Amino acid sequence: MSVPISQMWTVASYVVRQRLRGRARYPLVLMLEPLFRCNLACAGCGKIQYPAHVLRKDLTVEQCLAAVEECGAPMVSIPGGEPLMYPEIGRLVRELVARRKYVYLCTNAILLKQRLQEGVFTPSKYLSFSVHMDGLREEHDEAVCREGVYDQAVEGIREALARGFRVTTNSTLFDGVNPVRMQMFFDEMMDLGVEGMMLSPGYSYSKAPDQEHFLRRQKTNEIFVKMLSNPKRRWRFNQSPLFLQFLMGKWDFDCTPWGMPAYNIFGWQRPCYLLQEGYASSFKELMESTRWEQYGHRSGNEKCKDCMVHCGYEATAVHTTFTSWKGLTAAARATLTGRL
Amino acid sequence: MSDEPASLEGWAPGPADPATLAEIVERAFDYRGDVTVALDDGHQFEGYLFNRNRDVAEPFVQMFLRGEPEAATVPYARIREIRFTGKDTAAGNSYAAWRERRQAARVESGG
Repeated sequence: MSVPISQMWTVASYVVRQRLRGRARYPLVLMLEPLFRCNLACAGCGKIQYPAHVLRKDLTVEQCLAAVEECGAPMVSIPGGEPLMYPEIGRLVRELVARRKYVYLCTNAILLKQRLQEGVFTPSKYLSFSVHMDGLREEHDEAVCREGVYDQAVEGIREALARGFRVTTNSTLFDGVNPVRMQMFFDEMMDLGVEGMMLSPGYSYSKAPDQEHFLRRQKTNEIFVKMLSNPKRRWRFNQSPLFLQFLMGKWDFDCTPWGMPAYNIFGWQRPCYLLQEGYASSFKELMESTRWEQYGHRSGNEKCKDCMVHCGYEATAVHTTFTSWKGLTAAARATLTGRL
Repeated sequence: MSDEPASLEGWAPGPADPATLAEIVERAFDYRGDVTVALDDGHQFEGYLFNRNRDVAEPFVQMFLRGEPEAATVPYARIREIRFTGKDTAAGNSYAAWRERRQAARVESGG
């Protein structure tokens, strides 16, 4: 695993503090979406289908910072939309870094090289570019519905690494994924020099153009077992080893929908980053008025039945790691041996 | 395309009683295009309905109106009718259609 010690310590101490305060529900990562505009229209994405006047709207930096303060999570992920199209992305990131938030800027990297050359960002241990890479060139360009994007992303990654930035990748896996090709992809990313990789099965957004290729639970387990049963020592994953083990069917977790709350131009999204069942005007309202028992795999909610996505289950994995001996020892063993 | 989901684009269900209106509001909330809301006083406006809440004393919807920076809040009780007048942005761009276009382009280019 490749999460830096300082980041791991920040997260661990945060989780322990929440437990000591008796908070049953607490956020781990704020999913901050300052805009919905994107320069791609990926087949599996249900985030960008809005009228033009809605797509033109942005959160202000002040709105973003107020959400970060109110939420209190130690990590902030900036997806979207494409955050490098956000006019104030440089200032937003600087403000978050100044607040010692670990920032994952989730980008397709089409604009990454240009923004770096413009001097928009400064390297920091608090800032990682999390580059969307859904596999090798052929698979990635297919997933993003445009040829040439893989090469642009690789160019952006090289530029960021050369300038001393932290770079990770995030990959969404859909039905039909070839585990052997994904293993080749892991090798390629390690050769490129990224700090670590993040994996997640896709979620069946009701508005996504491609509804046929979302993974079901058993299929997810089979694919991740094939991919990760004999991981190479050189593969580094920037996520909880327990989450990867969950994807392999080794843990029976339930969802933590409040673990990665989402804030965007509509407000605080209820109940999670994926489902849009309404919006709360404050984080407090979100936490107190959402009927959490209606969500998650064990709730019987049809929309949650097959979901194994990181934004619901990675928080469960992290919580388990830092609140149980079984979780802690399993995570330590995976980290030390590289075996999942 | 045969695999396209049915769209509500153009749907105009007409004035509704409160129970039916609540169902129409749910459809409008799920709709990824603008809707036109007509009020009991004859006023009407078009925008994107992004939120609704029936679990409060005075149920309301929230909308982003074209050209307006701030969201508008409208009580259910004032809504007479909702029409699905804007383009459904979630329809018509299926993955299957993209693959067909790409395949056709490859054949054309001899690739």
